[in-house]
Amino acid sequence: MKPRKLPSSALSRALSRALSTSTTTTTPLQCGSAFPSKTVTVSNFEPSLAELRHHVRSSDFVAIDLEMTGVTSAPWRESFEFDRSDVRYLKVRDSASRFAVVQFGVCPFRWDPSNQSFVAYPYNFYVFPRPELAGFGPCNDFLCQTTSMDFLAKYQFDFNACIHEGISYLSREQEREAVRSLNSTHDSDWSDISKLNDVRDIPNVNMADILFTARMKNKFSEWRDGLLQEQTQSDHIQGTQKDSKQQFQVIFFKTHPALKLDGFTSRQLKLIQLVIKKHFKDLSYINVNREASGLQQIVVYTDSADELNLLLKEVKEENHRAKEMKIQAAIGFRHVIDVLSSEQKLIVGHNCFLDMAHVYSKFIGPLPGTPEEFVASVNKCFPHIIDTKILLNTNYMLQERMKKSRKSLASAFSMFCPLIAAGSNSTGLISASLVKVNIEVDDSRSSSWNPGGKHEAGYDAFMTGCIFAQLCSDLGVDFKLHESSKQLASNEKLQNYINHLYLSWLHGDIIDLNTGDKVANTLPSYNLKKRYPNILFENIVIIWGFPTKLKANEVRECISKVFGLTSVVSVYHLDATAVFVQFSKTELVSDFLLLKEKLETSNGPILVLHPLAKLLDGGNTCAANYDTYKEICGSPLSESLFADQAKAVILKSKTKSIEYKVTSRRKEHKNASVEDNEKDAAMKFVEKIKPNTIDQIRNVESRRQASQFEIEDSCVAEANL
Amino acid sequence: MASLFQLLLLNQRRSLCTKVPTSKWKVKQVTTSNFNESLEEIKIHISSSDFIAISMEKTGSSLVTPWHRVQPFDTAETAYLKASHSAQRFQLLQFAVCPFSVTDSNNLVAHPYNFLLFPRDELKLGMPAYSFFCQTSHLTSMACQGFDFNASIYEGISYLSRAQESAAKVRLGTNSPSLGVMKSSSPPTIADSVFVERIRLRIKHWRNSCKKSGTKTSKDEEIIISLRNIVLGSELFKSRPCLTIDVCSERQVQLILEMLVDFSDDFLPLVIPSKGGTTQAVRIVLANSKEDKEFMEREVHSLEEKESKKIRGFREVIDLISASQKPVISHNCLNEVDEFESSMHMIFPKVLDMIYLMKKSGTMRKVTNIRNALTFLNTHFFAPVDMEIPDQDTVNKGKIDGLDALRLSYLFMKLCSILKISPIVTRSGNRRLAPELEDFTNVFHPCSTNIQESCSEDVGLWNNNTRKINSEHLVFLWGFKFGMTAGMLKSVLRASHDIFSGEFDVRFVDKSCAIVVFWQPGLSKDFLDVMNSEEIGGGLKELVSDGLRVTCYETYRTMCRLGLWEMDLAESLERALESFVSDTEINNERKSSSEIHWCNDNVINLDDL
Repeated sequence: MKPRKLPSSALSRALSRALSTSTTTTTPLQCGSAFPSKTVTVSNFEPSLAELRHHVRSSDFVAIDLEMTGVTSAPWRESFEFDRSDVRYLKVRDSASRFAVVQFGVCPFRWDPSNQSFVAYPYNFYVFPRPELAGFGPCNDFLCQTTSMDFLAKYQFDFNACIHEGISYLSREQEREAVRSLNSTHDSDWSDISKLNDVRDIPNVNMADILFTARMKNKFSEWRDGLLQEQTQSDHIQGTQKDSKQQFQVIFFKTHPALKLDGFTSRQLKLIQLVIKKHFKDLSYINVNREASGLQQIVVYTDSADELNLLLKEVKEENHRAKEMKIQAAIGFRHVIDVLSSEQKLIVGHNCFLDMAHVYSKFIGPLPGTPEEFVASVNKCFPHIIDTKILLNTNYMLQERMKKSRKSLASAFSMFCPLIAAGSNSTGLISASLVKVNIEVDDSRSSSWNPGGKHEAGYDAFMTGCIFAQLCSDLGVDFKLHESSKQLASNEKLQNYINHLYLSWLHGDIIDLNTGDKVANTLPSYNLKKRYPNILFENIVIIWGFPTKLKANEVRECISKVFGLTSVVSVYHLDATAVFVQFSKTELVSDFLLLKEKLETSNGPILVLHPLAKLLDGGNTCAANYDTYKEICGSPLSESLFADQAKAVILKSKTKSIEYKVTSRRKEHKNASVEDNEKDAAMKFVEKIKPNTIDQIRNVESRRQASQFEIEDSCVAEANL
Repeated sequence: MASLFQLLLLNQRRSLCTKVPTSKWKVKQVTTSNFNESLEEIKIHISSSDFIAISMEKTGSSLVTPWHRVQPFDTAETAYLKASHSAQRFQLLQFAVCPFSVTDSNNLVAHPYNFLLFPRDELKLGMPAYSFFCQTSHLTSMACQGFDFNASIYEGISYLSRAQESAAKVRLGTNSPSLGVMKSSSPPTIADSVFVERIRLRIKHWRNSCKKSGTKTSKDEEIIISLRNIVLGSELFKSRPCLTIDVCSERQVQLILEMLVDFSDDFLPLVIPSKGGTTQAVRIVLANSKEDKEFMEREVHSLEEKESKKIRGFREVIDLISASQKPVISHNCLNEVDEFESSMHMIFPKVLDMIYLMKKSGTMRKVTNIRNALTFLNTHFFAPVDMEIPDQDTVNKGKIDGLDALRLSYLFMKLCSILKISPIVTRSGNRRLAPELEDFTNVFHPCSTNIQESCSEDVGLWNNNTRKINSEHLVFLWGFKFGMTAGMLKSVLRASHDIFSGEFDVRFVDKSCAIVVFWQPGLSKDFLDVMNSEEIGGGLKELVSDGLRVTCYETYRTMCRLGLWEMDLAESLERALESFVSDTEINNERKSSSEIHWCNDNVINLDDL
């Protein structure tokens, strides 16, 4: 979508203002045109940022929305009911660090007292992690989920605009890193400017090089001699310069006579460097990094060594500044985040835990290991965040109104803001209780429009903001009394919701960003399809690598035969290669693991006849407790099948523990018991490792079964709707 | 720079090409909308062509992270691991195919196609890929060349590899259900016979009613019949009556199929698979006659064929090329290890790698880009080649995407004429290439010793400063001060310990890690020993205290095998050391395979960057 441009004459602007202010007789000015939002790419980023900064500063709250290239990197990374909140966070962390943000919607809302309405300024930023600063991010590669890409394509996402013109960024961490490395090279020697230290490395000098070197030597001595004889010969120099195809251009570099070198190959430049170093005491070869012209090679004449040093110092400073500028320029889209953060405005999102994780990992730094640390750091950057999904689901009154309608963003929007959704604020009669919103783009205000494209970040952010404004008004928040967003954020009617985010929508796990505590959902009507009552994580064993034909009820049958009919509370597939088994008692977890180990070490008729044989068939079956599951989820690896992932993760930790053992043995068994403990730990952790025998066909085949156990209403899926 | 090259290229081409001005080269773009008709077209062109040039565009390449690409210090094994790693991570977005035939030693007729691809999960099975990697720098450079991402993602053709296809068939249950009677594995139980009798009766009733309805047509009866049909669950399949019987196990399917044999020939059983892959029901179609039944069988078969075509998608084209047994010309094969097959060699019997051909010609050393290569040849040699593109006028879209395959065929002709090799394929009897070309097939650059033994001698030809060294003499070094150059590092090392008094070389692999080559055997081991011993002292001790780390080539090999592909080599090596397992496999390795070639011009030196 192109930024909509109106005839920007003062008259038409005044006219459109006049029209939009009269609430009763609004002419559909924008009729026929698309939803007015400002699309921002590299080409118009600078002015848009300045404008946005101004709008954010004067706003009451800012709604945001993100579009990503994917949500889950493997089927087993989807959200399950058996995910404890820390596991859930690890899954979100995995998602946010792997996938890229391709579109970022920002929509500041400002209460306009003269019109008794909100003014929204929807911005739609195309973002692409282009590596603008070699070696310093934003990222080398990112993951795409095929279904998400298809989804974006279905809603006409413009990939060309994104990749060709998307705005790049550096996170705060990456910027620090870049500055640090810049400073460290700054402190080192002159190598940066006059690369002299490595010129002797030129290998095998051939005839051409010798001739070229001689020619260059002549050229430079001619020029220098000319300089020394001053003005008398200056015409002559001009003449020679023409001969050599403009390769030498006489310039003055910081009041020193100099030759600018053009059109030489890197090898030739090296040779020139060599010549200068060898034969000319008063000439020096300098690399100048200038903003306008980029890297430039210059040969400068200086009278004395002092003068040269002074000059080099100057050039060094200049180069340093140029590089600093480059880093500044590479920050790109993060400036928007910095504005949101420094203005401390109330940030409004819809089911935005994943969004915030993305914001953090892309623009602040790598995501911390625990949800508590994450929450604390987010709170520092964005002290006030509110989630419309929380508002909708934890407020009894709003819950009643939503009833059983779908809780996706679009349906909530049409439910709570029917007039805005339809594209106008026009009739004042029925809309007494409805909050009015006007849109202002490029200084032209409109009060009616065509509904925008769903899942365009700018429009989604606008919808989120409108819902929030309406919900506030429904909750009795009086905008007329508020002057700044800080007061809105501290409004007591919003206190139960502010800084509360769904860590897991599936459980209704809410996390408080202020404290890092989990908040119970107090709403009695909050009902989830709970198929598995009271999950006790310490009673859970995760089993993987069993024969793929085995179904959940068969697994249950197997285990029940050994531990009793009531021993297994539930069996749940997380993908075709792995199941959670919840036992009725915690002891059964260790009993099961021990029995399994025993069976595997004993080869004989016992194994064949044992009821568990069916489960252990194939010799690849592994089992572990819930903490191992957490560890596997936290791994940076991502295999598409859980069994493969577990194998890869455990292979690594196994080798680690073996090394550990070896080193401890080297200590001459100083502490034998410690070593035994380590060994035990290693053995317990690594139930079984077998060489990779799962071939591709089996992998693929087994995924089929995974689809049967999908959870319809998972939080991740919802986030993308 | 690129535009300069293009300009040069255009100028050159204009002067050389007579038939089709190169500036007007057009390529037929194939998307989902015109895939089927293009498939028919290319089938003809492939079968009548002499050579097939291919080139592809992926979502990323290993070329960006220096150490991920195949380096001169790689053995065949590590080179293969690197290539397969990159093939698995990235997905295809574009595959240009250009079948061409040589009519004269300097005239060729080309039919360029450009297939836009996208790994669409059409079957909702997580295939061809659940997710895939995109390399930002690669996408950016594609964007610079004007690649249309929207076209690929919106309209790209999907694909499945051969292995994925068979897996998909199993899961969709479309692998032709064996209609023949399977021998029942276990004796029938009472429950079985009850089930069979019940179904038999039901089928009998249904059949009778169907036959009857063909003869009598009073209105009342019609109503009764239709009511009965509803009750019995009768429907129509391709305007023939059919009956669907739900089953709850594969055993029941078998029983029904067995039982149907007892009836006359006019029943055609069709197994209806459920979404999960098991059988949901058996549909019995009543054919009008025996001929009709055969006709239906054929129809069902072609339907299956169509379905599987849809599953295979673009791979159909690969299969066509593969089946044609034509020599395939590609550019830098090892970096384009095929997505569709684990072994390129298996599907394309004759592959000519242009890079290798160019190196062989002794003309070019560092050519990575087809366009640059063409420019180079045009400026240095006079080798007029005429290009005919017969379908120019019928090309539906005026796009020039995917020109590389066409350029490749052009380049091939030029090189042949420069190298004085006749590209003409003798058509009598077996198609045979000129013996010189035959030599070039299936030799990939640069590490292909495992593919063809003779390659090892050839290396010296194209690179005269190559010294063969055993990988044992290499040591990986990292943890030195940031911003050091190879020269600086070398002098620091020389001053640090006596071991470095002999001849040795230092090269940077990437900015974080360098390789040290000891030209004197045994020194590398001594060095590693010194690093681990307590006698370490002097300058070396200082360096180690500052964080210098060292490891042998084995670690590198283990790292590749474990798949530790971090961005910086140093990081990967560090992690490999962490998880170093004494792998007996490594020791059993043939000595000869660890011979590698040390060539100076292929190693990335930080100074050049």
